[in-house]
Amino acid sequence: MMLAVLILIPLAAAVMVAVAPASRARSIAMVGMLAAAAMTGYLLFSFDWEHTAAQQFTLDEESSRLIGPLGVSVSMSVDSISMMLVTLTALLGPICVAASKTAITERVKTYYAWMLVLQSAMLGVFCARDMIFFYTCFEFTLIPMYIMISLWGSTNRKKAAAKFFLYTFTGSVIALAGIVYVAWSYADRHGTWTFDADTLMRWSRSLPAATQGWVLGALLLGFAVKVPLFPFHTWLPLAHTEAPTAGSVILAGVLLKLGTYGLVRFALPFAPMAFVTYSPAIAAVCVVGILYGGLICWVQNDVKKLVAYSSVAHLGFCVLGIASYNVMGVTGSILYMINHGLSTGALFLLIGMIYERYHTRSMKELGGLAAKMPVWSTFMVFFAMASVGLPGLNGFVSEFMCLFGAFQASDQWGAGLWGTAAGQTPGATPGHLGAWVAAIAGTGMVVAAMYLLYMVGKVVWGPLVEPAGHGGHDHGVHGHGSHGSHGQNDHGVLPRDLTGREIGVLVPLAALCIYLGVYPSPVIKALKDPVALTTTDVVNFGAARAAMPLVPPANTVPAGHQQAGEHGAAGQAPAPKVDNHAGENKETAR
Amino acid sequence: MNMLASIPGVLDAAVLAQASAPAPMAQSQLAHYMFISAALFAIGLIGFLTRRNLIIMFLCTELMFQAAGVALIAFSRFHMNMTGQTFVIFILTVAAAEAAMALALVVLLFRRRESLNAEEFSEMKG
Amino acid sequence: MGFMMTLSTILATLASPIAALAQSEAAHAASQEAGHAAEHVAHAAEKIEAIAAPGVGPMWLLLIPVLPLVGFVLSALCAAFRVKSKLPAWLTVLCLGASFAVTLGMYLQVSSGQIANPSVATGFEWIKVAWGAGDAHSIIANFGLYIDSLTCLWMLFVTGLATLIGLYASEYMAGDVGAGYCRFYAAFNLFVFSMSCLVMGDNLLLLYLGWEGVGLCSYLLIGYFYKKPSAVEAGKKAFIVNRIGDLGLALGLMLTAVHFGSIEYSVIFAKAQPYLAALSEGRLGDIPAVVQLIPVLLMIGAFGKSAQLPLYVWLPDAMEGPTPVSALIHAATMVTAGVYLVARAYPLFLLSETALPIVAWTGALTALLAATIGMAQFDIKRIMAYSTVSQLGYMFAGLGVLTSTGAAFHVFTHAFFKAMLFLSCGAVMHGFAGQLDLRKLSGVGSMPGWRVVGIAMLVGCLNLAGFPVITSGYWSKDMILGGAFANPHMVAIGWILLITAGLTAYYTFRVYFRVFVGPKYFEPGDEVHGHAGDDHGHDHGHDHAHADHGDRGHGHDAHAHFHPHAPGWAINTVLAILAVAAFAVIGLRFVGGHEGWVSGLIEHSSANYGGHAMYAAAASHGGEHAHATFFGYDAHQAMMYVSGVVGFIGIAVAFVLHYAGRTTAAKSRADALLPLVGPLAKWAQGKWYVDELYNAIIRVPLLVAAHVFHLIDKAIVDGIVDLFGWVPKFTGSSLRPSQSGVLHGYALSMAGGLAVLVLIVVMVMR
Repeated sequence: MMLAVLILIPLAAAVMVAVAPASRARSIAMVGMLAAAAMTGYLLFSFDWEHTAAQQFTLDEESSRLIGPLGVSVSMSVDSISMMLVTLTALLGPICVAASKTAITERVKTYYAWMLVLQSAMLGVFCARDMIFFYTCFEFTLIPMYIMISLWGSTNRKKAAAKFFLYTFTGSVIALAGIVYVAWSYADRHGTWTFDADTLMRWSRSLPAATQGWVLGALLLGFAVKVPLFPFHTWLPLAHTEAPTAGSVILAGVLLKLGTYGLVRFALPFAPMAFVTYSPAIAAVCVVGILYGGLICWVQNDVKKLVAYSSVAHLGFCVLGIASYNVMGVTGSILYMINHGLSTGALFLLIGMIYERYHTRSMKELGGLAAKMPVWSTFMVFFAMASVGLPGLNGFVSEFMCLFGAFQASDQWGAGLWGTAAGQTPGATPGHLGAWVAAIAGTGMVVAAMYLLYMVGKVVWGPLVEPAGHGGHDHGVHGHGSHGSHGQNDHGVLPRDLTGREIGVLVPLAALCIYLGVYPSPVIKALKDPVALTTTDVVNFGAARAAMPLVPPANTVPAGHQQAGEHGAAGQAPAPKVDNHAGENKETAR
Repeated sequence: MNMLASIPGVLDAAVLAQASAPAPMAQSQLAHYMFISAALFAIGLIGFLTRRNLIIMFLCTELMFQAAGVALIAFSRFHMNMTGQTFVIFILTVAAAEAAMALALVVLLFRRRESLNAEEFSEMKG
Repeated sequence: MGFMMTLSTILATLASPIAALAQSEAAHAASQEAGHAAEHVAHAAEKIEAIAAPGVGPMWLLLIPVLPLVGFVLSALCAAFRVKSKLPAWLTVLCLGASFAVTLGMYLQVSSGQIANPSVATGFEWIKVAWGAGDAHSIIANFGLYIDSLTCLWMLFVTGLATLIGLYASEYMAGDVGAGYCRFYAAFNLFVFSMSCLVMGDNLLLLYLGWEGVGLCSYLLIGYFYKKPSAVEAGKKAFIVNRIGDLGLALGLMLTAVHFGSIEYSVIFAKAQPYLAALSEGRLGDIPAVVQLIPVLLMIGAFGKSAQLPLYVWLPDAMEGPTPVSALIHAATMVTAGVYLVARAYPLFLLSETALPIVAWTGALTALLAATIGMAQFDIKRIMAYSTVSQLGYMFAGLGVLTSTGAAFHVFTHAFFKAMLFLSCGAVMHGFAGQLDLRKLSGVGSMPGWRVVGIAMLVGCLNLAGFPVITSGYWSKDMILGGAFANPHMVAIGWILLITAGLTAYYTFRVYFRVFVGPKYFEPGDEVHGHAGDDHGHDHGHDHAHADHGDRGHGHDAHAHFHPHAPGWAINTVLAILAVAAFAVIGLRFVGGHEGWVSGLIEHSSANYGGHAMYAAAASHGGEHAHATFFGYDAHQAMMYVSGVVGFIGIAVAFVLHYAGRTTAAKSRADALLPLVGPLAKWAQGKWYVDELYNAIIRVPLLVAAHVFHLIDKAIVDGIVDLFGWVPKFTGSSLRPSQSGVLHGYALSMAGGLAVLVLIVVMVMR
């Protein structure tokens, strides 16, 4: 029930915003967001951190059934993976409201109402345990976002909004087809319909390999558009460039994570056999995306577009971690979702602050802002470094883990690769990626430094460049760090450097960046059990390829979901090697 | 039909009617009704296609409507299934409401455009 | 001429002790020859035990990295509160000085055995990922410190020099008080923190943290004068080139983790012992290729950070930063991180047949290449930068020819004298408004107030040139040269290094003779050099009412009024301390272990864990080559004379070409020789066009690829998407005319459709 309350809080606030006078809209939205954040805080506090793999705060299927004959319900629960992303969403909510104070001055009610609805939908995605409910929330995020882009965006907003909507909608309809197929085949066999995630997951992984391939293909297509993975990314730069600042923050911070979350939560466990088979192809797409996206960033002129393309590269790392389907990679990937949300979200906020002052994002018209905006510049360099993956800040931990996950995930280790015999490589895990994938993806770290330092070098450092009409009057007071008292720019509203509100928006993000970079250990520990549960299942079920009968005997349903702690502790150690042939593996199908 | 059948009582009434009904209608008798119905429909259709006045055209559509009603009643009687007749009574009621609304719209249209010539209205051009 | 006389007298008086020492060395070596094998094997077991179970270090050791971090936070707070005084400088000196004191305490306790060597002090759990049961199926990277004598050696000079240079900078950066002063000290402290993580970390990931951390600080400090595009570019270049190296390091780290199941030094070294045993028994086949690949990957990282071929190009450009930064980061400490890494991972390097030869050759070739470039430059700071690259090459060569002691000793001595050289150059730059061109300065050493700088420069130059006997640089370089000639496979490297030694002496004294002695002359810089980017230039005498960007035109007009301002107490004190230290470290050659204090430290650290194996391997290869000879003489013994003579010749050539008979600042006898070498001088001055080459073969293709990708993205990847959108759009617009909007049209088509339907029904019914 607590999760339902969490989801309903922003929704209720949205209704209140809609009926209240416009002058109150922002404060009501803020209260709503803060209430949701407080509720999340309460959930974090009452979450059982000893059994992180167990589904908690469950709203069970029977009591939440919506359409009986189809087995559709609004069942909800969270484990630690979901909890992390709920926390990220709840955290970014108030930040986005605070960041919109001066940027959004027209149709305030509509704006905040939709933003609250969006918040509900995003929270719903991370809590849902019913596939139709998940899908509904997943799709419902599109509408508020569409409206935010098309009403408060910049010049090309109509096209961007339409493309964003149609592209991601098409993708997720295909994902829906995959989900419905699994549910249909279950109903076909058992005579009753259900969309319960766990039931369908257990059913889906018993499907034959070829069928799993189709299921994976459908889910992957839907989620890959959302992530976005390399060939499906073109809506992203457009949508980001046109969206208002808060929209970009939510888009980068949470909406993209819906795709990666879907991959971890559903694509990976639904089709383990297919995932094991196709993981090299997924990794290849990621690697291409990392380098391709990174290089494109390097030749951008629009700062926001640069950061948008950087998301393509960054999310490539994230999915690479998933493709390695080991604890290291998947944990890294989940951390990546959070870290990317923090650092890229902050970069969009920073760019928005500049845009509010100068009404341009072109690097030809902006330069050397360190001289005029030292506080802004400090934050810019900080978050750029977090994004580059500087050790000690958050980006590094997750990037390293994703890369290392890919590095160790190879059946070739200990099978004669570079002279190693079995037992000589304790760090190896089953998989099909290995050192080369990590090495090529690793060059993305160099490329990331290239484009982010290019941006920082242009915008923060160098001789001061401002668009015409700005800064001319500043000659007399060309000091360092003078802010507030003099040097108001010609908007009269915003001082030259950041206001207290803007600093207040950035500081929590910066603090989290440092915390997750210096002491990520508790978070990693919290993620360990559910991740181990997922990956162990993938290895076990993925390994049993040829040996798997069409319909498993009744007792083969893994008991892991009820015995999470024990399962997680056992980890992957007893897992058989994926490459082994069928005969050995019959018993591993449990 | 199914919808009506599912309403309790409707079907029972039909069954009762069937029980006390005279002998079924002959095939040739049906043909007469069909002829009337077809003639009405054809008149309505030709009128609709040839006339330009919206009120006349509306009357023509009513004519075609009633042609369908006649056919429905005839078949109902022919099959000894009173559902068709029930249905026509519904249709008549709805048609009356619809006629009232349509005429109101035509009047409004005339007030605005000072014309009832159908050829002058092509706002829905693609 | 008096100068030459003095030198020859000194040389003559010292000739006899050197001979005596050399003989005793030879005797020592011979006596040890026999006992070595047994001794090493005996020590081996003991060492393995120590490595496998390192002691627990006391928690106060964490103060060494934490104090600079405190300094960073305090400086950052000063920046946040816009402190307009020298407060951050004093806070920094206090924190770093305290850190140095703690380091000294650590050294004393380690050397007296109160802290086990090695030992580990764990702060907190940083990253721990377990994917199975047991520690083998996990990666643990604690914020923990690994303390052995190698750590002590490095931390002593890192914290010591950082304190001194922090003091120097308090005066040097005085012009920026209230502007970038706090920013400078924040980055400075952060650098020391990162460096101590790098050196003290007990696992490769913490080393990596420090590794990239120093890279960040280097980036921030090179780009300190951020209004100057060249400084920004240089910072960027440094960071990116270093990142290429870092990638190698990261991959090496991952390979280590996969193969050994851990990235903690203590575990790695323990698990490497069977391989070392295999090596010592000559069973090279038992060492998997993976293990041999690890050092090669780590080496790439080392080459990036320590500016070796092919990744050295960032260091000369890094001179855009303020001089104290050049001295601390780009001469004394950060650039030795690569040497540290190789020394730290020495047991792994020994396992590879190729790694150490690659290290040796890279080092030697870098040394030679950088020396040739250094000979042809005119910017004295850049000459020093190239000499740093060259000297780092020596250090790597030393590691490669299996004299880790020599390399470490050279790191140690080089840190002092090179820092001093940079600080002297910085004092000149500071006093002459950014002038660094050796053609525009002359006789600085004899100007009033410049005596300390002149002497410091002389001491530094003598050390760098390897002036025999009285300089520490001579002793450390000699150790490397001796090591090279003593190794039968590395004689070619010995020759390269020997030639480089001569070139080094020449270009070093070229600077000294041109700038610090001779006729007094100067042209002040226009502050475009080094400081121009900053509005708050450096001439304290003037007020700060500059226009927007660097005050061009200030140069020549102001020449008439320009008075070079001599350095103040802070700069002079630091230079004096360093000058004394540069001499004092000679003493370290003669105390402690059999090859001096440094060898005593190195022998008890990871840089020597593999020593016994290496020795046994050499012995098993026939044993006769344990020491090769130099034309029949013991290599070490011979080098004491030969390298001294080579250095002396270099100085003499510089004397003849750049001092004798020179009457103006701009011209010297060397100019007459230029036609003889043809275009070589020009090419060397153009740095052999390596930057241009890299630009052409790496940067430009990448840029082209990026633009092409961008076009592909817009035209093809997005084009296909738009095509999907275009299909319904096209269909719709082509069907559009059918919707006339006229009621009768629709009615007619409906009737027609009905007729067709009826027709079909009728046909079918029939």
